Amino acid sequence: MNQHIGDIPPFDDARHEREWLAQESAMRRERLHLDPAGDDARSRRYRLLARALREPLPGGLPTDFATHVAARVAAAPASTTRFEFVLMTALATALVIAAGAVTAIYGSAWLPSFSAILPAPRTPASSWLLAFAGCLGASWLLGQWQRHGQR
Amino acid sequence: MDDIRSNPDRDLVDALLANRPGAFERLIREYQGLCWHIIQRMVRNPEDARELCQDTFLRVHQCLHQYRYESALKSWIGRVAYTIALRHLQHKRIPLVEHGDDGDGDDYALVENIGDGFDLETACADEETVQHLHAAIESLPPLQRTLLTLYYLEETSIPEIARITGLASGTIKSHLFRSRLRLRGVLETRTGVAA
Repeated sequence: MNQHIGDIPPFDDARHEREWLAQESAMRRERLHLDPAGDDARSRRYRLLARALREPLPGGLPTDFATHVAARVAAAPASTTRFEFVLMTALATALVIAAGAVTAIYGSAWLPSFSAILPAPRTPASSWLLAFAGCLGASWLLGQWQRHGQR
Repeated sequence: MDDIRSNPDRDLVDALLANRPGAFERLIREYQGLCWHIIQRMVRNPEDARELCQDTFLRVHQCLHQYRYESALKSWIGRVAYTIALRHLQHKRIPLVEHGDDGDGDDYALVENIGDGFDLETACADEETVQHLHAAIESLPPLQRTLLTLYYLEETSIPEIARITGLASGTIKSHLFRSRLRLRGVLETRTGVAA
């Protein structure tokens, strides 16, 4: 542990860096339970500090904490997820029916305007649109493939 | 970034995402100590800490599908716990660090000072000295208490602490340095003559 210490930038002040190294050395020596006989007074104080900081915190979570939280989570989805699913399905169905009804009633008035602005086949614009759609599709497929690789 | 194929957390995450029985309970047992250490050190109130630990695991369950193995699962869960504790402190208007916390002259006066003779075992056996030290640790600002606990008790590396807290490694180093220097100062004052 703490093996990535080389990634940490040194202090600008050399005295601070030496003190830091003394702190680190005392922490490691205490962790390895090395004999403090050869340590100076500063290192011994830092080792006493390390002992105090390695003591478990008073109190703690109840012994059945994990069981309790897992049971709470297991009980929740049965009601909330099903309700969300039913609600979403009902809303989607209503939306599709409404869209169909609106198209059937008013479609004859505005559908010709839409077909007029769409590019005709075999024009440069439609080729570029096809190329753009192809790029989007390829990018999406690549993303899916990478995600699948991570799983 | 670790090789995702050798990530020891993968089985646990996969089992949880596949809703396998007992997987979530296993994850909680594995990381409840870490969450307790982070949250209790931040908020210092056992009742609040227990509630926030529960919130942490509920959040983890809700958001685990967003975990992309870019860091160890420990760091990711630690980050959730830290963020929840941080919000609690903000809500209670408790500052994370002391204002003007750039080290005072008294602390820095100890740099490279070896100090008077000190017997480690005698000091350890002295109940009053140990209690005094624990009181000094408790009196540190929430961030410094938490960083020290992660570094010493959880044996978390500085880069990992950086992922949990979102702080730069240099900032973490600086906080650790100053809090250790300050605590050493407390010991110098207390045991300089006695030990």
